[in-house]
Amino acid sequence: MTADRVRDRPDREDPILQVRNLRTVFYTDRETIRAADGVSADIYPGETLGVVGESGSGKSVTARSIMRLIDSPGQILAGSSIRYRQTETVREYADSFSGHTAELSDVAHEVDKSAAFDQIDRTPQHFGHERPEDVPVADLVGGGYGPELGLCDEGDFVFVTDGEATRPGQIQRGFVEITALEGEAERLMRGGRIAMIFQDPLSSLNPVFTIGNQIKESLNLHRDMRGSEATREAADLLEAVGIPDSRRRLKEYPHQFSGGMRQRAVIAMALACDPDVLICDEPTTALDVTIEAQILDLFTQLQAERDLAILFITHDMGVIANVADRVNVMYAGEMVERADVDQLFEHPRHPYTQGLLESIPGAQSGDSLSTIEGTVPTPNEPPTSCRFADRCPKAFEACREVHPVSVPANEQNDDHTAACLLYPENMSEQEAAMMHDQRNPPREESDTS
Amino acid sequence: MSETVTPESDVAPLRKRFLDNPRPALLWLAGALALLVLELGRILGWVKALGTGVKFAVMTTAALPKWVGGNVESAVADTGVLPGRLEPVGELLGSGVVTVLVFGFVVSVFLSLSERRVTRLLRPNMPSYRRLTVERALLTGILTVVSALMVLTPIGGLVESMIGFLTAVLDNISNQAPTLTSREIIPNQGYRSPDGSGWEGTFLGLSPGQSWGVRVAVVYAYAFGWLVWLWRGYNVFREQYRAADWTPRDDTLDRFSGHLWGLFGLVVVFSFVVLALWAPAISTVPLEERSNEPYRFEHQFLDDEDIEGNPLTDGSGDLETVRHGQANLYSVSKGKGQNVGLFSYDDFDRFSPLGTTPSGGDMMTQLAHGARTSLIIALTGLGLATLIALVMALLTAYYKGLVDLLTVVTSDTIVSIPLFLLVMMLSVIFSGSDHPLVTPLDGGLLLAMVFAFAFWPGLWRAIRGPTLQIAEEDWIDAAKSYGQTPSKIMRKHMAPYVVSYTMIYASLLVGSTIIVTAALSFLGLGISEPTPEWGRLISSGQDYITTDSWHVSTVSGIMIVFVVTGFNALGDGIRDAIDPESDIGDGDAAAAGGGG
Repeated sequence: MTADRVRDRPDREDPILQVRNLRTVFYTDRETIRAADGVSADIYPGETLGVVGESGSGKSVTARSIMRLIDSPGQILAGSSIRYRQTETVREYADSFSGHTAELSDVAHEVDKSAAFDQIDRTPQHFGHERPEDVPVADLVGGGYGPELGLCDEGDFVFVTDGEATRPGQIQRGFVEITALEGEAERLMRGGRIAMIFQDPLSSLNPVFTIGNQIKESLNLHRDMRGSEATREAADLLEAVGIPDSRRRLKEYPHQFSGGMRQRAVIAMALACDPDVLICDEPTTALDVTIEAQILDLFTQLQAERDLAILFITHDMGVIANVADRVNVMYAGEMVERADVDQLFEHPRHPYTQGLLESIPGAQSGDSLSTIEGTVPTPNEPPTSCRFADRCPKAFEACREVHPVSVPANEQNDDHTAACLLYPENMSEQEAAMMHDQRNPPREESDTS
Repeated sequence: MSETVTPESDVAPLRKRFLDNPRPALLWLAGALALLVLELGRILGWVKALGTGVKFAVMTTAALPKWVGGNVESAVADTGVLPGRLEPVGELLGSGVVTVLVFGFVVSVFLSLSERRVTRLLRPNMPSYRRLTVERALLTGILTVVSALMVLTPIGGLVESMIGFLTAVLDNISNQAPTLTSREIIPNQGYRSPDGSGWEGTFLGLSPGQSWGVRVAVVYAYAFGWLVWLWRGYNVFREQYRAADWTPRDDTLDRFSGHLWGLFGLVVVFSFVVLALWAPAISTVPLEERSNEPYRFEHQFLDDEDIEGNPLTDGSGDLETVRHGQANLYSVSKGKGQNVGLFSYDDFDRFSPLGTTPSGGDMMTQLAHGARTSLIIALTGLGLATLIALVMALLTAYYKGLVDLLTVVTSDTIVSIPLFLLVMMLSVIFSGSDHPLVTPLDGGLLLAMVFAFAFWPGLWRAIRGPTLQIAEEDWIDAAKSYGQTPSKIMRKHMAPYVVSYTMIYASLLVGSTIIVTAALSFLGLGISEPTPEWGRLISSGQDYITTDSWHVSTVSGIMIVFVVTGFNALGDGIRDAIDPESDIGDGDAAAAGGGG
């Protein structure tokens, strides 16, 4: 958004939320749907990460996996790691759940990674690296292989990478593994640290209770507020999201609010728990354009005031341009391009992104709209080729045989990656195909972990 | 309605609205109080009966630790692990552990339902996720210590005598308190006076039949008076004090008041409930006197007939006294020659509005008390079944997966158990014993529990669909996403939508319960003597249907049909009233616009 990226500030190097190799699969009677297939993303504090893609690309599933809202028949497979890295949280959790805390600082250096990969049925390519030594221990532990490799105990979810588990106040660095959370710890994470805003504000609010009742429910749970104190805080929250006459509004029901106001009320509910990360699943899709602009301004304002990290999911490129600092483009369960927002719009590298940008109605010229032919496929198998190959105007033979991995796609900019066999640009097609192939895990009959 | 715009709110709270315009509410309250005072004695009697029921439940739960302890002791003695002197230790341990477990369970349920945070007073800085465990432990510990004190020290005896004293005071009050429909105020057991000037000992000198009629009329007038007064109170609230001009409930009530079949059902069900509640008042002679202990109570009458039954004409009748038991022997209805039919007096000037039974008891009394039996069994059994079905539906819809699978398997298994065989088997097992499960209502409680066991799967199946639908709603996900506990989600965000379905399905089952109870008693399996039951009445009269004593079986049968139809009609009415798309009373609109 601005040249001075939030992330370049010295105290902001660490991402607050790290997603690595997330695989969420739905096992139904008829088919297996790999809604998120090896998704990796980083969210930095104070920054907005936009996730854009067509319907069916797996954006919502990724968000819900982070919130652990996936019900059976869906599962998050082993090897997926979602790490929450805020130090204060790690200290608190190490204090409250000391029985579930493990230290990684010393074991990290001692573990023999090649031997480790013999024990588990994964290869370094599954974790996105070529050699065993490159795979970070955090990936192994977060993926759930810690107990097997003797790095931690069963049921541990707080990992200290710099500090001692026995002295929580002195911990410098660590992370909480969200996929390993159970019970009380999981409930604390939800809302108190990561809050979610859903698409349809009318159905995210229970119609038979007043707005005030529902906000106070949140306040009650996370900040232990009751009675008139809670009412005051709820009124303040409504004012903060731009709803005037908040005291009266607290006693009204969701159906008495207009669409934009409802979404503001939902945002107020999400903020009631004082989270650090806000996940917004297409929050403005159901609103008209002028209200949309106001809500987006509200997000910017709230982010500046409360130092939130926002994961913003949408299918509207215009909204992304407005609100995001970094963008991840998703297709058929995979992240196909990652870049800063300026870079993405000026120099889109992946053919899918190029197609998306070309099909924005405002950018068209000529008689007929240019679109991307075809529809998003439903991924049933582990990826053995490029899933976009059938619709790609630049596809060649290797695209149907080799699965592309994320590679740097821009010489000037390290952070701009694309998962396409056309990149790296300085290699020939055959060389690139071979390189991508090597970085893929070996083919298996079925993927049952 | 005054609307003052204040910084706080637009509409004044209820208390202020009441204080602004107290007259209608106070008038209504005065009327309600007057109605209450009229039957205070009887109402207090009901409170006491409820207390007895609660006490029974508590005593049964309290007996659990001792029972387990006894079993532990005998098991330990059998294996001979501990030396003889230490065997009581085994019992103590067994009963102690179970006591703590029972208390822990009760405390957990209580805490999860209430919002209190007891330990907030002690250590307000404790994080909330530890607080619940500490609270549970603390309350369980307190309860255990208190109960140990009660059991092991004289304090227990003190508490018991205090409770006994309070109960006696309540008894005293209820005996002194006025009861409009009591036999003291409107008596109907009298005798013809020897000097031929009418009846003595009855209400205003009317005949026993007429005074009984007066009393029954007063009972029903009182009950329907309450109904009317409550409806009036709702209207007063709606017009004067309610903040909203209109709520969906208004529409529901309007639809119901136009639904003729439902209103018929309501009248029948209400009459049935009144029959059950006021059974001692509606009986001609109290049940204890005429049927339960007939040889202890006496009856006076004017004996002015000779041996053949012809009236003496010279006015020389004597006032005789006979025991009800003896009189019953002459008042049986067993067909030709021996019959006391509808609306007739027997040889001893006792009035029977619906005739007598083949053993000489009064049909009206038996029917009224049998209504009590049926109602209690239906309410207890179905209440329990509804509770289980509701809890299971919420759990399976929320967690899905394994819980759902297990419940489906369990419910299919239970559904395939034949109900009659189960009851037969249990009757045989418990026959002739005085086990605490069988004594209440002479097998009624056991029957209620069997109903709860047999009916909950069907009920669960019926509400499973809507509950699964509710579980898919977005606000459930939203509640999960800000970390709400599963039990709170199920109670606050799912249950309100399911309860209406549950009520409707449960109301349809009441009819089934009554029929099955009657059928089982007819076969001799369900309720045994002396608790009255309609099915047993039918079976006792089945040999005489073709004779003069046809009233025994036929009247009972007709009553059952009436009551079950009434319950079904009420269920229909409620269902149609709740559904906003039903076209009650809107015939033209439906014809023109296709309804909905």
